[in-house]
Amino acid sequence: MREIRIHGRGGQGVVTLAELLAKSAIKTGLEAQTLPFFGVERRGAAVKAAVRLDHTPIKVRSQSYKPGILVLMSENLLEIGLADGIADEAVIVVNTEKPLPVDKRQWLVEAEKIAVKHNLVFGGEPFINVPMLGALCRVLDLPFPVLEETLQEQWSEDKAKPNIAAAREAYNTVWSAGQAKEENSNG
Amino acid sequence: MTKIFDSGNAACALAVRDVGVDFVAAYPITPQTSVVEKIASYIAEGEMDAKYLPVESEHSAASAVAAASAVGARVFTATSSQGLLYMHEILHYAAGGRLPIVMANVNRAVNMPWCLYVDHQDAVSQRDTGWIQLFAASNQEIYDTVILAYKVAEEVQIPVMVNYDGFLVSHSSMPFETLEPSKIQEFLPPLNPAWRLHPQWGGTFGNVTPSEEYVPYRYALTEDLKKAGEVIMRCLKEYEKLTGRWHGGYFETYRPEGAEYFLFSMGSMGKEMEIAVDLLREQGIAAAGLRLRVFNPFPEEELAALLPAGAKLLVFDRNLVYGSAGGALLQLAKAALFNRRDSLQVTGISLGLGGEDLPASVLVAKAREMMEVCK
Repeated sequence: MREIRIHGRGGQGVVTLAELLAKSAIKTGLEAQTLPFFGVERRGAAVKAAVRLDHTPIKVRSQSYKPGILVLMSENLLEIGLADGIADEAVIVVNTEKPLPVDKRQWLVEAEKIAVKHNLVFGGEPFINVPMLGALCRVLDLPFPVLEETLQEQWSEDKAKPNIAAAREAYNTVWSAGQAKEENSNG
Repeated sequence: MTKIFDSGNAACALAVRDVGVDFVAAYPITPQTSVVEKIASYIAEGEMDAKYLPVESEHSAASAVAAASAVGARVFTATSSQGLLYMHEILHYAAGGRLPIVMANVNRAVNMPWCLYVDHQDAVSQRDTGWIQLFAASNQEIYDTVILAYKVAEEVQIPVMVNYDGFLVSHSSMPFETLEPSKIQEFLPPLNPAWRLHPQWGGTFGNVTPSEEYVPYRYALTEDLKKAGEVIMRCLKEYEKLTGRWHGGYFETYRPEGAEYFLFSMGSMGKEMEIAVDLLREQGIAAAGLRLRVFNPFPEEELAALLPAGAKLLVFDRNLVYGSAGGALLQLAKAALFNRRDSLQVTGISLGLGGEDLPASVLVAKAREMMEVCK
């Protein structure tokens, strides 16, 4: 089973991101489950959602503790994300320009820039969940046409178009920073 | 049949739409809210031909659906936690009135302190109101159980509560399939009550009775509830024949072959328990999963018949019976086995209250602790 946990802030569309990822994966024949976690917090507070993908029906009915992929909607969620636990061999997918100071394999995507470029801006805020979704599909090796189909089903043509363009750009530009080694004086 | 990927609450709302409910009254409460939001939007958009009555409280929601049911409408309401507790008085009315109401209860802990997350205290504390109580653990099971609930309620004339766990199932999206209207109609004929209130027919309903009329009425409810189990089983088989879908009978059993330890639970925990059973089997322990789907009427004889000689029953309760050892399932299991299977060992714990998370690793650890007690 592949487990992905997404960390963001209330209002960023984290739950939608999880749903769209699961729907895309199902199109490739996988079983999927999303499990958002809602605190008692509100807009702006840290939120998270798990996505599980497998070849057989998913029986898990508990929170995500050891995801193989940790998704951070912004780099300042690193501490929160790590505190909730990740698998030893986990990779991080993050909305940033430069690698994070952590000894994990990282996939970097400039989701905010992509969102602004494709005019995914609402109420003055760039909406980065679809670019993050594009990057995540690339990391998971899901073919882009599958994601494109999901986005076409999600929205009307007018609304889907900039989202598909943003997802495509993120899919094509997300890059792997490899083992970003950090000096670790504790050994 | 449409393949859908959506939440447990969406599965519930779709089933309510698909069975052709006439009347809905509800008051929103976390984590039930999106069920009634979706139903309200189906009605507003003309996808569902029903009357939606927004009310100011759960007491009024229950009262309104009871009244609508008494005039012959097919009705639905949904709630959680404090909302269910606030309905308590009307739950007795509904069962005593033999009204075939179907209600979804999205299980959530009760106050105080305030808590939004799952446990089964809400449902368990309404056990003795005379309702049938079913528990589902996946979105497909919710969809199918809501349809089944109408069939059973209308046949035995007893209200049915369909329970599923808050957030872990209600807000978790999973794939499920709906059913074509023609198949639903084949399974569930239009509601044709034996009697109903009607201004032209006169008569009264729920009037004051002397003991000699009251007593047989109450005994009839408990006797009919006991017999409702057989009706549920027959309807489940009919539904399976029609759809090929089967989630279990009174129980969903998992790996019972040669099992010594039966891990007995209810709700979403019972699905995660299958992973725990696999882990225990890998450790060389002959464990099986036993997920209860029909909480009331509790399948006493079936539980006693199901367990092999020398079996040890480990009970996992997501509720407390205050002042007693263990929870409701432990008490019911012991009562079921007393005088039937006195030689079997039974032990149990309460856990997972207020959304305390229960990954398989925790279930395995708790099972091993209980195995020590059973040695």
